[in-house]
Amino acid sequence: MNLSGSSKASPNNKQRIDLHVWRDPPAAGGWNMAADEALARQAEETNQVLMRLYGWRPHTLSLGSFQRSGDFFETPEVAHLPVVRRPSGGGAIIHGTDLTYGLAVPGCHDWSRGTEKLYAAVHGALAEELCERHLGARMMEATNRESDQSFYCFNRRAFGDLVIEDTAGTSLHGNHKILGSAQRRLAGVVLQHGSLLLHRNPNVQGEGSHMGLGDVLEARSGSVNDVVDGWLHRVADRLNGELIVESGSSYEKKDRDISSRTERYESEAWLHRR
Amino acid sequence: MEKSRRYAKSHEWARLEDDGSVTVGISAYAVEALTDLVFMQLPDVGATVTAGESFGEIESVKAVSDLYAPISGKVVAANTDLPSQLETLGSDPYGSGWVIRVQPDSVEQLDELMNQEAYDKLIGGG
Repeated sequence: MNLSGSSKASPNNKQRIDLHVWRDPPAAGGWNMAADEALARQAEETNQVLMRLYGWRPHTLSLGSFQRSGDFFETPEVAHLPVVRRPSGGGAIIHGTDLTYGLAVPGCHDWSRGTEKLYAAVHGALAEELCERHLGARMMEATNRESDQSFYCFNRRAFGDLVIEDTAGTSLHGNHKILGSAQRRLAGVVLQHGSLLLHRNPNVQGEGSHMGLGDVLEARSGSVNDVVDGWLHRVADRLNGELIVESGSSYEKKDRDISSRTERYESEAWLHRR
Repeated sequence: MEKSRRYAKSHEWARLEDDGSVTVGISAYAVEALTDLVFMQLPDVGATVTAGESFGEIESVKAVSDLYAPISGKVVAANTDLPSQLETLGSDPYGSGWVIRVQPDSVEQLDELMNQEAYDKLIGGG
């Protein structure tokens, strides 16, 4: 398995490495998963740290790599949604009022070693940004194996999850998870998926309904866009590099490649692999 | 052919057995690094595996990783108890935590893997 990346000669963590970011338009589930996979391959080939931020159209539920597809179809509150299975692990996420990211780190980089460094870098950067904006945000430290089995990602609590303190007493956990991530460790590259909840989804009730960052931000804390910009700069700082916001989409000139990859993610075999 | 464990850079181990098959597992270092394991997918008996290519997947609380075959051949046994007893990977990674047994195309492929000393150096170096 890939625990420490490839053996390619390459930059180490002391060297400057920039964070290249694309803000891609909302797309369907299969396309989004394929675009992340293509991003990972590009990162492996170029030894660059690449990130794409994107939304989902239509609203879609994504299952973790090994969640049972039957659990989705037996959950009435979401069974009307399109569904796609991610290559990464973790619990189900209802996309549509979140900001999803795919971050690809080549195996040569220190962040690809083990699972925790990448979480600490990305989630820690957002926690810092939020704390500076007067929100009580922190990363979870302990793992609660019992809650890890919840169907929804945002009902689970595991190390690295980013939570905001629940000052209104509305959460059973005592906090609101607003950023959850999971990794797919491939040969030569790590793909980290994450979902930053922006707003509560008005079309989802019950256990799948979760508060988002925009629901708790106060006027003095700035806008969601301000937070995201600050977060990205902090991630780039942790890389000792620059934040480079790329123009266009991450998949310009790669439509054919991504269309081909999309077929797999839209297949019944992939959806029902478990 | 030496019958001690050999290791792939991707942290799978391989051991030649008396009957000519090769037992494959995951190193203790890798199991510890993966932390809380939650699921494992094994190949079917009869499947063909290729050295350096994925033959299964393992999920921890925060990551899904491929398992890479250290040797090419045909799967003659899979430890089907393992997915429901993942703690065995941590408690006995070189014994009852074995993953698959392979009838190798060529046992000489084992020579391309690391011996214990080389593997210790790899993981000691980070």
